Amino acid sequence: MKNKFRKWTPYFLLTPALLYYLFFWIRPVFNAFIGSMTDFDGSFSLRFFIEVFKEPMFSAAFRNSVLFALISVLLQFSIAFMMALLLNKKFKGVNLLLFIALIPMAVPPAAVAILWKTGFSTFGWLNNILITLHIIKTPILWMTAQGFNALLFLILIDTWTVLPSVMIILLAGLQNLNKEYEEAGLIFGATKWQVTKDIIMPILKPTIITAVILRMIAAIQVWMISVMMFGYGRVPFLVERIAYYTDVVPMLDESYKMSLTYSVIVTVIVMVSVVLYLQVSKKSKKEVEI
Amino acid sequence: MNQKSLIAKTVFYLFIATMIIAILVPFFLFLSTSVYSEYEVYEFPRKFIPRTSFDLKIDWVDDKYDFSVFSREMDDYELLIQTDNLDKLRRFLKRNLSVQKTNEEINRDFSVSKNGEPLYLTYKKDLLYNYKTFFSITNKAGKAVANSVIAAGWTILISLSFGSLAGYAIARYKFKGREQLSLILLVVRMFPAVAVAIPMLVYLLKMNFDNTMIGLAIVYSVGNIALTAWITSSIFSGINVELEEASYVFGATKLQTFTKITLPLAVPGLIACSMYAFLAAWNDSITALILSNNNPTLSLVIYKAIGSSSAIQLSAAGAVILIMPALVFTFIIKNYINQMWGEVKL
Repeated sequence: MKNKFRKWTPYFLLTPALLYYLFFWIRPVFNAFIGSMTDFDGSFSLRFFIEVFKEPMFSAAFRNSVLFALISVLLQFSIAFMMALLLNKKFKGVNLLLFIALIPMAVPPAAVAILWKTGFSTFGWLNNILITLHIIKTPILWMTAQGFNALLFLILIDTWTVLPSVMIILLAGLQNLNKEYEEAGLIFGATKWQVTKDIIMPILKPTIITAVILRMIAAIQVWMISVMMFGYGRVPFLVERIAYYTDVVPMLDESYKMSLTYSVIVTVIVMVSVVLYLQVSKKSKKEVEI
Repeated sequence: MNQKSLIAKTVFYLFIATMIIAILVPFFLFLSTSVYSEYEVYEFPRKFIPRTSFDLKIDWVDDKYDFSVFSREMDDYELLIQTDNLDKLRRFLKRNLSVQKTNEEINRDFSVSKNGEPLYLTYKKDLLYNYKTFFSITNKAGKAVANSVIAAGWTILISLSFGSLAGYAIARYKFKGREQLSLILLVVRMFPAVAVAIPMLVYLLKMNFDNTMIGLAIVYSVGNIALTAWITSSIFSGINVELEEASYVFGATKLQTFTKITLPLAVPGLIACSMYAFLAAWNDSITALILSNNNPTLSLVIYKAIGSSSAIQLSAAGAVILIMPALVFTFIIKNYINQMWGEVKL
């Protein structure tokens, strides 16, 4: 009797969470998919997908989101990996450095945008530094950046913000790493670079993949710094379009359907990344075990 | 060899120095901006340390006060305004220099210059002027801080109660579907918030929960229940089962064991979970924009302030208020970051 009870205990404990997910995750998301594929009268129609794809802003938003994700992740990963390798050593003041490195991570996105706006505005501190150091004579109009330059701006700002968190994930991975592998490699005459490439990287692969995919998912959903720095439409992103249809266009049925359709597109892109992540991480796990 | 290690050391410390400068300089200059007066914002090029006071020169010319401020850049007094209107002077001092004086004080101090000699005096700047003004001109700011805290509170409550039960089950029991459950939790954590928030709007409208903090918390909790389950499961599996068994041996019931043994040991982890939940609610703006546009959270108010006001120093003051709790909590939970991102077991 007691055994039978015990068998059901875990399900009993899980029920609240599962019910919550049924009501507040599965049901709305399912309805979002249905909603994006139906017309106002409820009949099946791909009208809103066609309208989204036809929008001139869509291709720009799609391109920017993908470019932003690829460039920022690549940039952030390389710098963060270097930083993590460096900080994994024992040296005086490492804790203080870690403490400082955490600051940008703690700054909420809305504040990040304002922080950089105080820097990039015409009389902001960046021009002020450059003039004080006699690098420039007249202020540079950073905020008028267009196209790819503006995108690069946003990538740099994003990098400043998330670099520490990527670094900490990698550092955690490095600290769990058995030092003996590394030492063995060095004893057998490998250079530091070889040890990093052939020993540390493969063992760290699951951590690296985790860090990279998580960053990618966040990067695909970027919107706020773009709107706060440049306003709507200068550097459009997929989620920026959702914010646009919510914030600027009054909440009409039409704009609701548009934002719903955009959200479905974002979901599909993110979920494809997740599946990709699961596939690759399963593969890498097997490789490491061998 | 020695020279080589010296170069390596130099490169190493240069790298660290660059990193520290790249993080701290923007942060410090942003903090300075939040205490700048309007006058300092347009002083250019300016000193990086904000002023704490202004050196003033008052001349009584043609029955008017010639009001000048010492400009550190020009190394001379700069004439800013000519008037005999005390109200005008008071407003000018307040708006442009963040100096708060009453008409009587101004009259008493300035009238000394009427004897023909230029009057030199120093007025203290109100360093918190931008912070006070942010709350008085953005009429929703005070309410917004309360909203953010309430939304965070609900998120903590929902995530902890639903998530820790699931986490306990995952840690302590072997059951069918355990692997699949971990997978589901992972997918939920990675799920874009907008994809839940937009369709949820329809339900919240039906339940009259639109523009409420409970409505927001319901959406924030979706990802946070999974995260809480994740963290608590690793905490509960780290708590020695033998301790619980010992408690049974001494005749304690299951509930007593849980509340007296297991729960106290799990408290630090549960606090960490609460802080994550807090940060998720506190930092978000897109969900608040979609679901609670008319009753904004602080993050949303700051997002909107940048569009409406040109006064960057006021937005900066608002942003500093937004940063403070986030900064404190991030530093407290930094030891759990490992658990949050690392060790993704499938």
